[in-house]
Amino acid sequence: MSKLKNIAFLIFVLVVISSCTTKSPTPTVAVTESPTTAEATATAAPVVNECLNCHTEKQRLIDTAKLVVVAEAESKGVG
Amino acid sequence: MAPLEPWEKVLVDSEKFMPTDHGQIACVDCHNGVQSPDKEIAHEGLIASPSSEPEKYCGDCHSDQTATYPFALHSTQQGYWTAIESRAGNVPENHPALEEMFGNHCATCHTTCGECHVSQPKNVGGGLFTGHVFEKTPPMTRSCTACHGSRVGNEFLGKNEGIAGDVHFREARMNCVKCHEGADLHGTATDAETAEVNRLAGMESPKCTDCHVEAIPGGDENPMHQVHGDTLSCQVCHSVTYTSCDGCHVAVSETSGNPFFETEATYQTFLIGRNPIRSEERPYAYVPVRHIPVVENAYDFYGENLLPNFNALPTWNYATPHNIQKNTPQNASCEACHSGDASIFLTADKVKPEELEANLSVIIETLPPMVSLEQVLNAPALPADHAKTACTSCHTSGMANAPISPENHLDYTEENCIGCHKLQK
Repeated sequence: MSKLKNIAFLIFVLVVISSCTTKSPTPTVAVTESPTTAEATATAAPVVNECLNCHTEKQRLIDTAKLVVVAEAESKGVG
Repeated sequence: MAPLEPWEKVLVDSEKFMPTDHGQIACVDCHNGVQSPDKEIAHEGLIASPSSEPEKYCGDCHSDQTATYPFALHSTQQGYWTAIESRAGNVPENHPALEEMFGNHCATCHTTCGECHVSQPKNVGGGLFTGHVFEKTPPMTRSCTACHGSRVGNEFLGKNEGIAGDVHFREARMNCVKCHEGADLHGTATDAETAEVNRLAGMESPKCTDCHVEAIPGGDENPMHQVHGDTLSCQVCHSVTYTSCDGCHVAVSETSGNPFFETEATYQTFLIGRNPIRSEERPYAYVPVRHIPVVENAYDFYGENLLPNFNALPTWNYATPHNIQKNTPQNASCEACHSGDASIFLTADKVKPEELEANLSVIIETLPPMVSLEQVLNAPALPADHAKTACTSCHTSGMANAPISPENHLDYTEENCIGCHKLQK
């Protein structure tokens, strides 16, 4: 009887070990997927082009333009 | 051309610009600066005109153009320096003053790639053409004639009152680059002599006969072309009244500190003179001449007597008026020129006394002979072996039994002979 118990225990241990081995790739998959997901998120974020934002907007250019004092033309005659 | 508002000068049309090749380049790659919604921060280190350094910013894609452009006249402005140095003579101590003058008044005409292809030139206020779209062909009135306007532009476009515009523009709507091709403007087709002197030195490019091949002497049946050959530049017969200017004085304003100029007079002329730069490329004996606004004391603000060699160059200069017409008053009949009427010739009485010496090479002393077309066509031909012989040495003395030229030929000079007496082939 004791021998039978030992065999049963051994089978149980083997099954446990075996099941642990087959499940081991799971964390690897999770690790490799994780950055992929993160990367996709970064690509989707809109790129801000501050140059174009301003230089395509007439009113903003008017509002931010430096006051230009146009000097009176002092040249006379045909250049 | 009305100046643009400050906002108009820098407004980018993203719908038009972004799909273009240049629109694929990040703004800061060419213009530097910083990505920020704050204008002051965004403009830190800004390069407003990247093509001031063409090799660096344009050369990766346009290497053919950037390799030669530093030697092109639009870049070097050598034409100005050739004239200034001739009239200034070899007086090294005057050079600092002349260089200061040049920097204040002439250097503004230096042109970058961008000032033809993406924006108006700086000296007319700048400003993007088409929302930052690069134009392969510069828009004529906002680029070419924005600078070359007072004479060339007004003539070509017919803006001088009562004088028709150039037939190439009126009839064919040709723009400047139809004749002045990119290769000429970028310096790729510029020969060494042109680069070292000015546009009138070296090759004649563009040349009317590049397109009008039939007008080459002997190339068509037009008796005027047959008779005159290359004695006359095309413009002698095919241009009309054009602008001349007198006495341009330059200075810096005491009130604003800005450089300015003042010209004494501007007027319309059509005058034929002798060609002061006759060469194999420009063999014409006669060309239209235009008074240029140079005057001996033009630079007096910068120093006394800066042009001590003033008489080295004519003030009535070889001109190529840009108001070409098929029919003109002077090509209407032989008598327009061959009647003894001096009104369309630069004779000494039309030159200011103080400029007579400078213009000796262009003043016409003998008017064209009074002959009819029939007489010209029936004039005895020169024997082929007379090609390189001086006519008057035998035909005024009777040497070698040569027939003495008639009495009515007494006023003629060597260059008149071949006008009528064509060489036998």
